[in-house]
Formats: sequence, structure tokens, C-alpha cells
Amino acid sequence: MNWRKWNRWVHRELGYLFFGMSIIYGISGIALNHFAARHWDPGIISRSESFTYPSPLDQSSVDREVIDRILEITGERKNYKQYYFPNKDHLMIYLRGGHISMTLSTGAMELILVRNRPVFSEMNYLHYNKPKKLWTWFSDLYAFGLVLMAVTGLFIVRGKKGITGSGGILTAVGILLPLLFLMIYLWL
Amino acid sequence: MIVWMAAFVMLASCNQSGNQAGTDPSTMAKEEILTATVEEIVAQPAAFEGKEVAISGMVTHVCRHSGQKCFVLGEDGQTQLRIMTGGDIEEFLIDMEGSTIAFRGVVKVLDTEQSADMAEENASMAEHTEEMAHSKAERSPTYIEAIDFREVSL
Repeated sequence: MNWRKWNRWVHRELGYLFFGMSIIYGISGIALNHFAARHWDPGIISRSESFTYPSPLDQSSVDREVIDRILEITGERKNYKQYYFPNKDHLMIYLRGGHISMTLSTGAMELILVRNRPVFSEMNYLHYNKPKKLWTWFSDLYAFGLVLMAVTGLFIVRGKKGITGSGGILTAVGILLPLLFLMIYLWL
Repeated sequence: MIVWMAAFVMLASCNQSGNQAGTDPSTMAKEEILTATVEEIVAQPAAFEGKEVAISGMVTHVCRHSGQKCFVLGEDGQTQLRIMTGGDIEEFLIDMEGSTIAFRGVVKVLDTEQSADMAEENASMAEHTEEMAHSKAERSPTYIEAIDFREVSL
């Protein structure tokens, strides 16, 4: 078997083996890109609703009775956990699955309910290497496999469309583009 | 290919059990664990640096970005301390917010260079631009690298 056959074999087998990993890292990569850019939070689904307390309050007037009244207004009595004052004019009531944020001087309240976004939260869990342990080594293996797939991919096609022809130009463009972004955003 | 994969998994598994054997529970039990408050650690970080401590308090915020840090409130209702994941802790979950959690971990204090690196990293994240109740603890060089934790209320 010549080296080109070996090259094709490695490229094909790794491609099949790591199809699932590529989908996970690809989709969660897009999600995390937009999370970093603050376009969207892929990990959680957040819903907010506004309420107003009947009268303004200050810290000294907040007791369990007031908290109960707020929970009643927002319909979250059964989910109450604890509360504290992040600052003089701000009350934070923690709930199972969210919180109520209140501006004491105006009585304006915002109920925020959060829950994990199915599929994306699991993909991000893996992409961020939160499992650590054995997953670290398996994802390293995938990353190494990705490098191998990239290198072997250069030598799949011969001739005009191969690495010595138009394929080589595309490869150069693909290397220069990230360098260009680095020049614009980091180095200049 | 399957044989190759199996060999890799076996190697990684062997390495893991080796790590576990290195952490002798009897040795760990002999190490001193200090019971401290959030306020004490924040006020005197040098006295606790490198020491294993046990603290508890209400979690006010869990980092949405990574789940790798959270903030615990002192009994004064104002002072907060940053807790980072360590040991086998995978992440802190948002569900921890508003719960009283007991943490065991090692107090760490960043040096000037490490603090500057952290500040630069924080500055690059849009969610760190707004001043919040835990912002001071977020910028502080003092934090706890948690080894384990458990909920003590609810």
C-alpha cells in the first residue's frame, strides 16, 4: 500500500470516527461564539416579567411579611429560597429557578426565571471540558485527530485541484485569514 | 481503529486510578482544616493563604459564562468572596444562587502580575463591565479554590 492509500485510509477512518465530535464542537462553537459576543446565551433560557410593589420601600421596612407579599404578587411563594440587599436601594430574592430583583425606592420588580436550554447546555458542558477526567483525554484525542484530518486532507486530491494547484491557494488563504484578523484585532 | 481506541481508553483509565491512589484519605484527614468566615479571609488573606479552610454562606452569583466561579456572602450581608472550582468539581450550577453552601478549599492570593492578567481577562468580557454587588470580590486577588461543597439549607 503506497502512502496515498494510507493517507486516504487515515482521513476516511478519522472522519467517520469523529463525525459526532465534530458536530458537537462545531455547533457548540457557534453558540459559544455568540455567547462571548453577548448575542445569545446558549446555556440557559431566561424569561422576565415586570411587577410593581404597591408602595416604595427601604431596607429597614423589609421583613418576612414584605417578602411574602412580594412572593404573592409574583406568584412565586412556593419557590422562595433567601434574600439579601446587594446595595441600599436593591433587594434580591432568590427562588428555585430564578430570582426577583427589586428597586426599593420605586417598588419596581423584575422576576427572572431561568432554566437550562436542552441540547446546547449538554454540548457546552462537553465543549468547556467541564467533565474533566477521562473526557479531557478523549477530547485531546479528537483534537489530535482533527489535526491529522486537516493534514491528510491536503493530500487526498492530486493534480490541478490538489495542494499543488488551486487547493494550495485555498490553503494559503485559510492560513492568511486568521493571521489578518490577528493583525487587525491584536497586533496593530 | 477500535483496538487503537480501546488501548487509549485503557491507558487513560490507568492514569486516573494512579492519580486517585496518590490522594491518600488518611493523609488528607491529618491536614488541618481551619473554620473561617468570609469576613475573616477577606480582612486577613495573608493569614489564610495556602491553608485549607471550611466556610459557609449564601451564594449570591454563579458565573454564567463558565460555571467555574461563584460568590459567597458573609454574615454581615455585604462582604463577598470568590470561590473557584478545584479538585473534582466540574462546575457551579446556577441553582446554587440563593442557597447556603458549605465549601472546603484552599485560600489563594494572586500576586501583582496574576492580578493584572485577571483584570485584563475580566475587562475583555462584556458581562464584567457593569458594577455589581460581587464585583469587588471578582476583582480581588483573594479567593478560595474549592475542593468540595455541599448545600446546607433548603
